[in-house]
Amino acid sequence: MVVIKKTRLSLAIEKLLRNFNKVSPAVAFASTAGDLASAASVATPPGNLTNNRVSPALQALTAAALLLPGLAEPVLAADDEATIQYGHYEESNRDIYSRVLTSEFGYDLKKIPNNFAPITVDSLHVQGKTLLRDRWRFTANYSEDTWSGATPVATAPAGFGGNKVYGGGSGVKHLEPAAGDTISGATPYIQSLTPVFDRNLNPVLDKGLDAGFNQVYGFGSQPLTHTMTMASPETRKQGDFKLGYEWDEAAVDVGGGLSLENDYESRFVNWGGRLDFNSKLTTLNFSQSYTNSTVSALLDHDSLPYLGYIGYTLNGRSDNGYYDGSSSKGMLHGKREDIATNLSLTQVLSKCALAEAGVGYTHSSGFMENPYKATYAFFVDPDLFDPAAGVYLGANTTAYTEQRPNQRNQVNLNLRYVQHIAPLDAAMNLKYNYFLDDWGINAHTFEGKWVQPLPWGLTVTPTIRYYSQSAADFYHPYLVLKTPGSGDANDPAAYRALNRQYPHFSSDHRLSAYGALSGGVIVNKQFARGLNLEMGFEYYTHQGGLRLGGGGEGGYADFSAYSANAALKVDLDTLGRGLAEGGGDHRHHHHHQHGAAQPAGMMFAHMMNTADDWMVGYQYMFSKQAGNLLQGSRPISDTAITMNNAVNNPNCAGEQCFVAPSDMAMHMHMFMVMYAPTDWLNLMLMPTFMDMGMNMRELGGTTSPANTTLIGAAVNHADHEHQTGGIGDTNISALVKLYDDKLHHLHLGLGVSAPTGDVDIHLRPTHTYELGLIHYGMQLGSGTWDFTPTLTYTGHLDAWGWGAQLQGIKRLQNHNESGYRLGDMLQATAWGSYRFLDWLSGSVRGIYTTHDSLHGAYDRPHVPIGTMDTPANHGGKFWDIGLGLTATIPGGSLAGNSFGVEWIQPLRDDVNGIQLEREGALSAQWNYMF
Amino acid sequence: MINLKRAVGVFSIALALQLLGGCAVAPWERGTLAKPQMALEPYPLQTELRGHNYGAREAATGSSSGSGGGCGCY
Repeated sequence: MVVIKKTRLSLAIEKLLRNFNKVSPAVAFASTAGDLASAASVATPPGNLTNNRVSPALQALTAAALLLPGLAEPVLAADDEATIQYGHYEESNRDIYSRVLTSEFGYDLKKIPNNFAPITVDSLHVQGKTLLRDRWRFTANYSEDTWSGATPVATAPAGFGGNKVYGGGSGVKHLEPAAGDTISGATPYIQSLTPVFDRNLNPVLDKGLDAGFNQVYGFGSQPLTHTMTMASPETRKQGDFKLGYEWDEAAVDVGGGLSLENDYESRFVNWGGRLDFNSKLTTLNFSQSYTNSTVSALLDHDSLPYLGYIGYTLNGRSDNGYYDGSSSKGMLHGKREDIATNLSLTQVLSKCALAEAGVGYTHSSGFMENPYKATYAFFVDPDLFDPAAGVYLGANTTAYTEQRPNQRNQVNLNLRYVQHIAPLDAAMNLKYNYFLDDWGINAHTFEGKWVQPLPWGLTVTPTIRYYSQSAADFYHPYLVLKTPGSGDANDPAAYRALNRQYPHFSSDHRLSAYGALSGGVIVNKQFARGLNLEMGFEYYTHQGGLRLGGGGEGGYADFSAYSANAALKVDLDTLGRGLAEGGGDHRHHHHHQHGAAQPAGMMFAHMMNTADDWMVGYQYMFSKQAGNLLQGSRPISDTAITMNNAVNNPNCAGEQCFVAPSDMAMHMHMFMVMYAPTDWLNLMLMPTFMDMGMNMRELGGTTSPANTTLIGAAVNHADHEHQTGGIGDTNISALVKLYDDKLHHLHLGLGVSAPTGDVDIHLRPTHTYELGLIHYGMQLGSGTWDFTPTLTYTGHLDAWGWGAQLQGIKRLQNHNESGYRLGDMLQATAWGSYRFLDWLSGSVRGIYTTHDSLHGAYDRPHVPIGTMDTPANHGGKFWDIGLGLTATIPGGSLAGNSFGVEWIQPLRDDVNGIQLEREGALSAQWNYMF
Repeated sequence: MINLKRAVGVFSIALALQLLGGCAVAPWERGTLAKPQMALEPYPLQTELRGHNYGAREAATGSSSGSGGGCGCY
């Protein structure tokens, strides 16, 4: 017993001293306080407390425990940690109802099949945390998400029509639906509705003519339906940081960031603090944030002719939103500010329970509309009442961009309770939130988590959440006025009449009354050496019928969604400690490693030589094309490309050329996990995440066809940036050591690339035309299984390093699911490096690449309009020079980390066919070996 | 505003109960509270990602954080 006591106590004291030296942050509480508590209970005979004779050991431990920060901080976090997380969110298809021609002249209401691509979002989050100095900590985040799919733009009684069908094949126009049709990729159809109302202004279904050619009307309630619109992929990027300082019983932090989208920019700053008191049984948290956002939304040019944006033109040039029609594009501009303040109190209730209560207030002002939502207004002319049929006919229909108030005050009240469940060593985490605002919305959120630790480092957490909200005062699925309309969507008098009855209006179902129920699970696995894998899944259902107390929106707005994500966390502290405690071998190993730094743009070039070693890494690659259009290696003029507007032009997939790319940028994020089962074999897994953007320009001398033609619609659509993003292909490789004598090293890489990237990304339909698949170069993967062999030689002597690599890509399939395959590739590179400081090396390398052109062609709808749509205009021969720097941290808590950057400067392009010149590429790499 | 008053009332009572109920827990008795599963926010990454999903779909979510998140205009 005595031995055990001493061991645990000395362990605790050792940790205590470590904390005195490096007064360790909240995060240390988890590992330390538990031990201190148990050490104290072992060190102190039970009678001591009641006798008021406190042992010196207990006093010391008590003092130490009190030095540790409060409980409100996330205890799982490490001092130095790198995290990557990938998430996928996907919604179900919406139900669409429509008035459908069911007999020769008769209509009926039907739910019609639709194969809109649902909303999907792919997201990436990279996070780095570090303890800068003893009490300073810094966190940086980068995240991006790309979304696409069909979303509701407006709502109307289903019998009025509001969605068109599309018969299939590019070049087929969208039509009014007939029985058996499938709605697919429809463009918003917010005109030419057939509104009929009864004497009480309830919607009536116009059923057409019966067999005796008599007009028939269907009275009684009828469902509503969304008018859907498709969106091409769009990407948002966000970077933010937080810097914190800690005292023994308090902490403060400041942070800020930037979120960028084509149509929305947000800048934000925040600050907060924490104060522990009452022997650290109570913690007060405070935070405040300010967000400033700018909206520049491009209105759908299909709906511009009949979309009422007059609410904004009457505003004048106000920050609350104004319409800018100065170019051929209609834009909505606005600004918005949000100031949020939150205050919360955390209290330890007992040895196994704690609770938190919080209050938050947010004031928002400015442009708070969703610029892509419209609300139908039906102007019913009292003079057009047909007494025989009992209906109003010929109502004027206008879809107005929604108008929300320019101020919003929101209050949040939170309660949270965490209870330890001793028999299972689990924790029950319950949360309730009450929200209300001056838009008339109040909402309740209940959340429950059961955090269950299991053996093998596993924690499994089932989660459940219920949310219910009331509707905003100004929420209306559609608007009806007993006033004759003018038929002009932007007629001021009609709008003023509307405004008198409805000062604000929105049909965004987010502001409707509904409930949402979701359930999910989080699985966390702690691996040895500080690696942690976390996976989450959640299913979510939004239903009007789930609203607390009933009275929710109709079933037409119901949808469900799922979200799945995986995160890998690398705790650099644990790894660093492992290295420090693991003896000199590893250190030597790292030293050896940075003796021969490799250029940051290289892949498969580094091999670990010690069995059971691990490496994790992240490589970012940015490449840009801009400048001249080249034919082979020479610039080519626009008229030479268009061949004087030849109708059958091989430069543009056999069609007439209208546009060419003006610039194209690609960002790739590659993650690598590598393991050495033996000293001659390394296994490697490398998933990628990427996003691309391309701007196009009309070629000189061309006249673009009218928007009313398919080609014209496609050319018109090319006047703003096309974007794609999401998961790319995933590489799985084995590196086999062929020769190693400490001076020279040779290894073979045998890999396959799995087709996890999409090759069926579509452009949104426009001008009622289906534009089909986006440009070849903007698909995210190859779509084929590819063989990726490499042969790498490296050598080093003193401060000098050198090497050469051959890398190939051989497509293993003739075509992918979209009918084509990318060309094979061969690359040869050679480099030299010199270590001019103990921790810093520079490298120079030459690169030669030959890339075959694309084979086959899209076998699905696709509308070629320019040089980038020609399979032969891909690949070529390329010569580059790369200049790089690599820093390796030799000691301290971040030992084993290496960072590299490399700029790759094109020297010569010899492209296949006609392509845009390359401007260069930047690679940045972080590796951590342990 | 009646709703607000009622909510503030309920909230204050809850807060008072909480403070009164908080008995002294000695530092050496806090081993259980220090376990990772007892964190108020055991999964910050999951909370942030889910919060982003909810924030794009719900009127009452996402208003209280000053951490960006974009338009969510879909």
